[in-house]
Amino acid sequence: MPQSLVRLASMPSGCRRRWTAAWSGLVAVTTAATAAAQPVDFSRDIQPLLAKRCFSCHGPDTQEAGLRLDDAAAATRELDSGTRAIVPGDEAASVLLERITSTDPDLRMPPEGSRLTAAQVESLRRWIAAGAEFREHWAFRPVVRPEPPATAAATNPIDAFIRDGLAGRGLPRPSLADNRSLLRRVTYGVTGLPPTEQEIRDFLADDSPDAWERVVDRLLASPHYGETWARHWLDLVRYADTNSFERDGTKPHAWRYRDYVIRSLNDDKPYDRFVIEQLAGDELPNPGPDDLIATGYYRLGLWDDEPADRVQARYDWLDDLVSTTGQAFLGLTINCARCHDHKIDPIPQRDYYGLLAFFHAITPMANDGEAVERKLFADDAERADYERKLADLNRRRDAAQQAVTAIENTFRVAREREAADADTSDDLDDLQFRFYRDTWKSLPVFDELKPEDVGVVPGRRFDIAVAPSLRPDSFGYVFTGVLKVPADGDYTFVLDSDDGARLSVDGAVVVNYDGIHGTGDPRTVTVPLRAGRLPIRLDYFQWLHGKGLSVSWSGPGFEPRLLSAGKGYRQRAELVDAIREHGARILGAAGKRDYDAKVAALKRLKQENVPVEQALVVTESGTQAPDTFVFPRGNPHAAPAAERLVAPAFPAILRPQPPMIPPPASGAATTGRRTALARWIASPENPLSARVIANRIWQHHFGRGIVRSASNFGLMGDPPTHPELLDWLASELVAGNWRLKALHKTILMSEAYRASAAATAAALAQDPLNDALWRFDMRRLTAEELRDSIHVASGSFNPAMYGPGVYPEIPKAVLAGQSKPGNGWGTSSPEEQARRSIYIHVKRSLITPILADFDMADTDTSCPVRFTTTQPTQALGMMNGDFVQRQARRFAERVRREVGGPDGANTAAEVRRVLEIALTRPATDDEVARGVALVDSLESQDGVGPSRALELYCVMVLNLNEFAYLD
Amino acid sequence: MDTDHDRRTGAFCRRTRREFFWEAGASFTGLALSGLLDHGFFSRQTRAADGLAAYVNPLAAKPPHFAPRAKSVIFLFMYGGPSHVDTFDYKPALYPLDGKTIEVKTKGRGGEKNQGRVVGPKWKFKQYGECGKWVSDLFPHIATHVDDIAFLHSMTADSPIHGSAMLQMNSGKIQSGAPCLGSWVNYGLGSVNENLPGFVVMLDPTGGPISGAKNWSSGFMPATYQGTLLRSKGPPILDLAPPDDMPLEAQRAMLDALREANTAHLLPRGDNSELAARIASYELAWKMQEHAPEAVDLASETAETQKLYGLDNPRTADFGRRCLLARRLVERGVRFIQLYSGGAHNDDNWDAHGDLEKNHTFHAGNTDQPVAALLTDLKRSGLLDSTLVIWGGEFGRQPTAEYEQGTGRDHNSYGFTMWMAGGGIKGGVSVGETDELGAAAIAPVHDGKTGFHVKSLHATVLKQLGLDPNRLSYFFGGLDQKLVGVEHVEPIHEIIA
Repeated sequence: MPQSLVRLASMPSGCRRRWTAAWSGLVAVTTAATAAAQPVDFSRDIQPLLAKRCFSCHGPDTQEAGLRLDDAAAATRELDSGTRAIVPGDEAASVLLERITSTDPDLRMPPEGSRLTAAQVESLRRWIAAGAEFREHWAFRPVVRPEPPATAAATNPIDAFIRDGLAGRGLPRPSLADNRSLLRRVTYGVTGLPPTEQEIRDFLADDSPDAWERVVDRLLASPHYGETWARHWLDLVRYADTNSFERDGTKPHAWRYRDYVIRSLNDDKPYDRFVIEQLAGDELPNPGPDDLIATGYYRLGLWDDEPADRVQARYDWLDDLVSTTGQAFLGLTINCARCHDHKIDPIPQRDYYGLLAFFHAITPMANDGEAVERKLFADDAERADYERKLADLNRRRDAAQQAVTAIENTFRVAREREAADADTSDDLDDLQFRFYRDTWKSLPVFDELKPEDVGVVPGRRFDIAVAPSLRPDSFGYVFTGVLKVPADGDYTFVLDSDDGARLSVDGAVVVNYDGIHGTGDPRTVTVPLRAGRLPIRLDYFQWLHGKGLSVSWSGPGFEPRLLSAGKGYRQRAELVDAIREHGARILGAAGKRDYDAKVAALKRLKQENVPVEQALVVTESGTQAPDTFVFPRGNPHAAPAAERLVAPAFPAILRPQPPMIPPPASGAATTGRRTALARWIASPENPLSARVIANRIWQHHFGRGIVRSASNFGLMGDPPTHPELLDWLASELVAGNWRLKALHKTILMSEAYRASAAATAAALAQDPLNDALWRFDMRRLTAEELRDSIHVASGSFNPAMYGPGVYPEIPKAVLAGQSKPGNGWGTSSPEEQARRSIYIHVKRSLITPILADFDMADTDTSCPVRFTTTQPTQALGMMNGDFVQRQARRFAERVRREVGGPDGANTAAEVRRVLEIALTRPATDDEVARGVALVDSLESQDGVGPSRALELYCVMVLNLNEFAYLD
Repeated sequence: MDTDHDRRTGAFCRRTRREFFWEAGASFTGLALSGLLDHGFFSRQTRAADGLAAYVNPLAAKPPHFAPRAKSVIFLFMYGGPSHVDTFDYKPALYPLDGKTIEVKTKGRGGEKNQGRVVGPKWKFKQYGECGKWVSDLFPHIATHVDDIAFLHSMTADSPIHGSAMLQMNSGKIQSGAPCLGSWVNYGLGSVNENLPGFVVMLDPTGGPISGAKNWSSGFMPATYQGTLLRSKGPPILDLAPPDDMPLEAQRAMLDALREANTAHLLPRGDNSELAARIASYELAWKMQEHAPEAVDLASETAETQKLYGLDNPRTADFGRRCLLARRLVERGVRFIQLYSGGAHNDDNWDAHGDLEKNHTFHAGNTDQPVAALLTDLKRSGLLDSTLVIWGGEFGRQPTAEYEQGTGRDHNSYGFTMWMAGGGIKGGVSVGETDELGAAAIAPVHDGKTGFHVKSLHATVLKQLGLDPNRLSYFFGGLDQKLVGVEHVEPIHEIIA
C-alpha cells in the first residue's frame, strides 16, 4: 500500500465505510494514468466546482461580465466581450479554460483564493470537449422505466440487463450454482435460517420446471421472512429498546414497533403504506393499532433525559429524525446541511430546516405518559369494554379500600380511647363533636351547615378520628366543650393542623390557622384567661392528602399538656405497625384475621389491572407548530430572525410540488405536517424513494446494492453498477403497487441470483470486485443468523414469534462494565433465550456479546450496510465462550439421542450426523474418518471423556467456515 | 512470518506457517498469496460488507501523519469529577470565604445557581519541584513529579452531567454513537501487537462508569476499534481462557482439525480472502491465549517495583496493580490504555456531593502513590518519553456547597484541571486559569473561546501521536467525521515540548 489509510481518510467518498472509501480513493490515485478513460460526471465533477468557485460572481444572483454558469443556455451564450465562456465541444474557443489557466494574475479566474487544481482544470476541459452537457445527477432525475435490452435472450428482464453488461465487458455468463448451495443461499437470504433436511430432500428430488419457483414462493410465505427482513429495516431506523445515556432507560413498548415491522413484511404491506404509517400513521383517518405503533419510529433514537442544554438537546434530537428519515427513506445525507449548505450535494441549509419543520411540533421524548404512550383498541367496542372493566376495577378497589379503612378507624378509635383512658388529664369537659362532609379549601361557617354526625367525644380530647363515619378525605369537625382554667393568668396555646383549624376560648378566637397546609409549622399564641370553666371551640377541616391535629396549652404552674388526642398516626406505616402490635387484642383474633384478609384482598386488587395493549407513539403539541428558523452554524441558541424563518419544505433539488398541508380539522391533535411529508416520500413521483428501497432489497440478496452506498444516493454516493436495472426494479415496484414480495420474487427468479459463487481466473482478473455480477458473491452469516443457526443445530431453536424482548445470559465479565452490573437486564428461560435473535432486548449500552462480536449494526445511528470484520476475539468467543460451549453440549446430546446407543459406541454415526446437521449436506467418508480420528484423539486427552469429546467435536464444527459462510 | 514461538509450540498444525500457506494457498491468486505470506497478513482481514475492498487492514500499524512524540497513551480517568480547588488549582482566596454565601454563577446536577455557600478548600497546599507548583496535601507522591507534568487549569466541557460529560471526555460528543478517543487512535495508527487489543480499559473494582460500554464504544466505526475490558485478576480478557474441561491439548487438536477442514473448504474458493483471514484468526486467538496472560502476570516484577506501586498496601494495591499493568501493556505496544479510578455511583467514585473530605481522602489515597509510581517507573525505563499520561475526570467541582449542610460540591464544567505528562509534553508548566474562586475558566482564549475545551485536549493527544486532529477523519453519514468535530481545533501548543 503506497499510502496509509489515514492519509487517504480525508478523501470524500459515498461509501459508508472508511477503508472502503480509502480503497476507492486509492484506486483513483494509483490509476491516475487511466483516469482519462473515466467519463466526467457533470453533477459530481463539474457542478459542485462551478458552484463553489464561480457562482458568487457568475451565478444565479450576480452575472459579472454577463456570465452566468448555472444554466446551459446562459453559460454558452455570447458575453459582453463578444467571446463565449463555454463552447460545447470546442476547448480552444472556450474562454473559460483560457482564464482558469492564465498565468496573468489580472486575467486568471477565480480572482481570489487558490488556483484550480490541475485535475479540476482537466475535468472542465474534458467536460467541454465532450459537449458541456449540464446533466442532472442520475438519482435526482425522475424514474423512467427502461426497456430491458432486447439483444440478450433472457426470460427474466433482470438477466437481460446483467447479460448486456457482461457482454459489454466481454465477461461470460455465469454458470448456475448447484441446487444444494442454492437452497441454502435462498433459505438464509429470505428467512435467515438454514433449510431443513426435509426441505433439502424435497427440492433435490423435484425435477419439475417450477421447483425453484415453488421454493421461492414457500420461503416468501414463511413467517421467518418477516423476521429476517425486519432486522434489515431495524438497522436503518436505529432500533433499540432503550435510550442510551446515563440511565439507558427502557422505552415503553418499543418491541411492538419491532413486531409491527415483522408483521407488515409478512403481510406484504405495500411499501408506500409502510412509509406513511411510520411517518404519519396517527394522522390517518381512524388510525388502527398498527397505524399508531408504526409511529414509534420517531421514538426509537437516542434520548438524553438529563441534558445539560435542553435547547441543544432538543435540536440534536430533531437532527436525529432529519438524518434518519433522510438516509433511511430518501438515501440523502440531508443532515450534512445542518450547519451550512451541503458541501457536496445541492442541498442548501434552508432545506435542512424546511425538512426539520415537518417534525417541529412533535412532543419531546419522555420516559412514559401521554406524550409517548397510547392505549390500543381494535375498535370502539374494545375501547368501551376496556373502560367498563376499568371502572369496575376502580369500584372494587374503592370498596376494598373502604373495608380496610373502616377496620383501621375502628382500631384507631379504640386504641386512642385506650390511650385517653390511661391519661388522667381532665383539662376539657363536656366535649361534643359535630362531623361534616364536604370539600373545602378554607374553614366554612360550620354553624350554617348540616352535620352528618353529632355526638359526645368519649375521651377528654379533640379527636378527629372520633366520628363513626370517618372517611379518608374532605371532612370537617366542630368540637365544643369546657376548658377548665385553674387560675387567672397568661396561657399559651400551640396549634398544628392539616389542613385548617381555628381555636376559640371564652367566645374569642385564640389561634386561627386556616387554609390548606400540612403539619410541622405550628402556631403559638399567648392570651390572658380568667379562672373557671370557659367555653372552648375548635373548628377543623381536611381537604385532601393527609390529616392531623395537635393542640396543647400551658399556663401558670404547668408545662404544656395536650388537648388533642394522641399524636395520631400520621403515617399509614405507623398505623399498620400499631395494628400488627395491638390488632389481635383490640380487634379480637377473628377481627385481626378479617383485617389481614381484607388488606391482602386490597393488595391483590391494586396489582390487578385491566389488560390493555399500549404502544410507543408520536404525538404533537397541538395543531400549531413552533416557528422554524435556520440556525447559522447550526447553533440553536441563535436569535430568531424573520429572514431566517422557514416553512415546511421538501429538498428543492428533487423539484417537488410544495407540501400540501391542509388546515387541521377541528379536534385534530396534530399539525398534519407529517402526513404531507409521508405522502411525498411515498409518492411514485419521488425520484428517490422507490430507487432506494429497490436497491436495499437487491443489497440484502446480493450482499451489496446496485448502489453500494445504500443510504447515500447523492453526488458522493457510489454510482449504480447497473443504473437501468435499478430504475427498472424501481418502476416494477411502483407498478406492482409497492408490494415487496413481488420484487423479491422477480429478483430470486433471476439467473443472476442463482449464479455460482465460483470464480474464473479471467473474470476475476478483469472485474475483481464483481461489479458486473459474473458470479454470486459469497457472504458470511450475519450475527443473528449465526446465533440462530447454532440454536437450530443444537436442536434448542425456539421459533415462537413476537412479544417483549428476551434476555440472553450475559457473562458477568461483560456485566461488570455497567455502573450497576446487571441493571436493566432481565432473565429469560433457556427456551426463551433460544428464540430468534431479533427478539433480544436491545439495550444500547449492553449488546449481547456474540451479536456485538459479529458486527451487529450500531444502535445509535442509521446503519445501511453492516461491517464484516474478522477478529481473533470472535474466535475466542466461538471456541471458549459460554454460549457456544453450552449449545455444543446440547448439540451433542441431540446427536446421541438421534443416533442412539451408548457413548462412544457409534462415533462414526455421531460424527456423520453432526456434520449433516451443521452443514446441511451429507458428510463424506473422509470427513467422517477425520472426525472420528479427532474424537478419538480428544478422548485420549486428560479430562476429556467420550461424551465430552463429542461435545468438543461439535464446538469445532460450529466454527467451520462452511458453517459460517454461504456460497 | 513464523516465529520461534510457533515452532516451539507446534502452532499451525506442526507446520511452519509458510508451509501451511503454501499448501493451503496452492490455488490462490498471486496477489492473495503474497499477501498471506506477508508478516502483516492478519491485518488485512477485514472488509466492508459491500465487498469493495477485499483485503484492507484495519489494525495493522499505520504510519502517522507526521513524526510522533508519543506511541502510547495512558488515560487515568478520575471518574466522578475531582475537585480542582482541592487538588491542583490553588485558590488562596477561597479559604477565608469558607461558610460565606457569595454571588457566583454555577451549573451542576442541582441546576443553575447564582449564589452559594463557599466551601473553603479542605486541604493545605505546598509548593513542589523546581517549578514551585502548588499541590494539595491530597497528592504528596504525585507532587514530587510536578517538574514532569503540564497542568491544564482551564479545562471546559459542554455538560456538567455525568452521562453526557463522560461521553464527551471519551468521544468528544455529548451523545452516544461516536467512536471513543482510543478507537480513533487505533483507527489512525493501528496496533503493533497482534496478541493484545489496541484499546484497553481497566475498570475500578466497584464497577463500570455510568453508560457502561458506551464509554469505550467504537460507535459508527467497526467493532475492531472498540475498547476491550481487561481484568487485572483472573482471565484478563473475555473468553480468553478455555473452559476447564477443554484442556489446551484438546483445543490444539480441535484447532488443527478446524484448520484442516477450513483449508479443504478454501481450496475451491481460493480467491476469497475472508475465508483465509478467518482461518488465521483462530491461530491468532491461540497466540493471544498464550501471550495475553503473560502481559498481566506481575510475577516477573521485582519486589521493589511492586512496592513502588503500593501493591503491599490494601488501599493502593488495586490501582497500583492496574498502573503497573498499564506500564506492561505500553511495553508491549498497546496504544491506548484507560484506567478508571472510581466506578459505579456516588461515593464509589470522585462524585463528592456529600462529604468532600471523606470522598477525596479516600480516592486520592487509593491512587496517589500508584500514579506517582507509574510516572517514576515510566521515567526510569525511558518509556515516559513516548508515553502520554493523562490525569483527570469528566469535569471538576464547584467552589460552593451543593446542600445547606456539609462540604459536598456539585459538578463544574465551566472550569477544571487536568494534567498531562510524558510523550513530548513539557514538564513543570501550568497553563490556563480559573477565576479566584475556581468557578470558571478565565484564560487563555483558545480557538476563540475561553479556556481549553475537551476538544483541545483530544487534539493535543492526537498531535502527540503524530496525527493531525483536523485531518484524521472517518467518512460516515455523509460527512468526514472527526474526533474534534467539524470546526478547526488547535492542540494546546503551550504544553508541547
